[in-house]
Amino acid sequence: MPSWSLKLSALFITLFVLAGSFDYARGHVKNPNAPLQPPVAEGPAASGIAPTPSPAPTIGPLLTTRPGQRAPTVTPGPRLTLAPGVQSATLAPITLTHTS
Amino acid sequence: MDPQLFVWIVARATGVAAYIALCLSILSGIALRTSVLDFLATNRALRALHDFMTWVWIPLGLAHAVSLLLDRTAQITPLDLVVPFQVSYAPLAIGLGTLSLDIVLVITVTSWLRRRLDDRLWRWIHRASYVAFVTLFLHALLSGTDFSSPLISSISWSAALGIGLLAASRIFFGRLPE
Repeated sequence: MPSWSLKLSALFITLFVLAGSFDYARGHVKNPNAPLQPPVAEGPAASGIAPTPSPAPTIGPLLTTRPGQRAPTVTPGPRLTLAPGVQSATLAPITLTHTS
Repeated sequence: MDPQLFVWIVARATGVAAYIALCLSILSGIALRTSVLDFLATNRALRALHDFMTWVWIPLGLAHAVSLLLDRTAQITPLDLVVPFQVSYAPLAIGLGTLSLDIVLVITVTSWLRRRLDDRLWRWIHRASYVAFVTLFLHALLSGTDFSSPLISSISWSAALGIGLLAASRIFFGRLPE
């Protein structure tokens, strides 16, 4: 086989693979089985905008007492173990079982 | 078409095509030293093909690298094209491609300067193309988005198998007298 024929065949194979790959990639833009999945979404720090803390909720007194009535003692209840991401408030725990 | 989508598709297509062009270049290079492809062409024709394929894979490899530089999702910097294992999210998979590119560029440049180099030194540098191919194949396997496609996977594995067979032939059956 002459050299020009070899070159032409190799060039044709390469161009055929290029066109076929282009067509395949255009038809399969997102491949969930791809080994690399680079992070797409930028975090708040990367966007340059500092997050604003949400204000802590405030509520009024949980229990009102009548005149002459002794204020009930608040006993600490069992402590909860919170999952990561759950924030505890600075308010008094609601553990009263008092009924009027 | 969205420009970012276009560069992403170009990066994938040129990656596969550059891999095939480099495989053909390596195949013709190994065939020069074996008698395996004697039925196909003379050594002179195979040598002409080997030299020619350099001018095919270089633009494809450059297009692959430049399109990944332009792709914001890939997060490749110009330094990552030269220094391997620097990318934050997949240092090994992408670094192997950088390493392969570095080795192949050294082999190509030393081949252009062959007349000015010691022949034994040039041969040892040229044998590094086996290492370059292994790193290139691992790069394709570990980071190739389309490697899971049966068609592209079969083409890639076939090319690797062809090189493996010719390399084994070179090792076990020696080479033709010069």
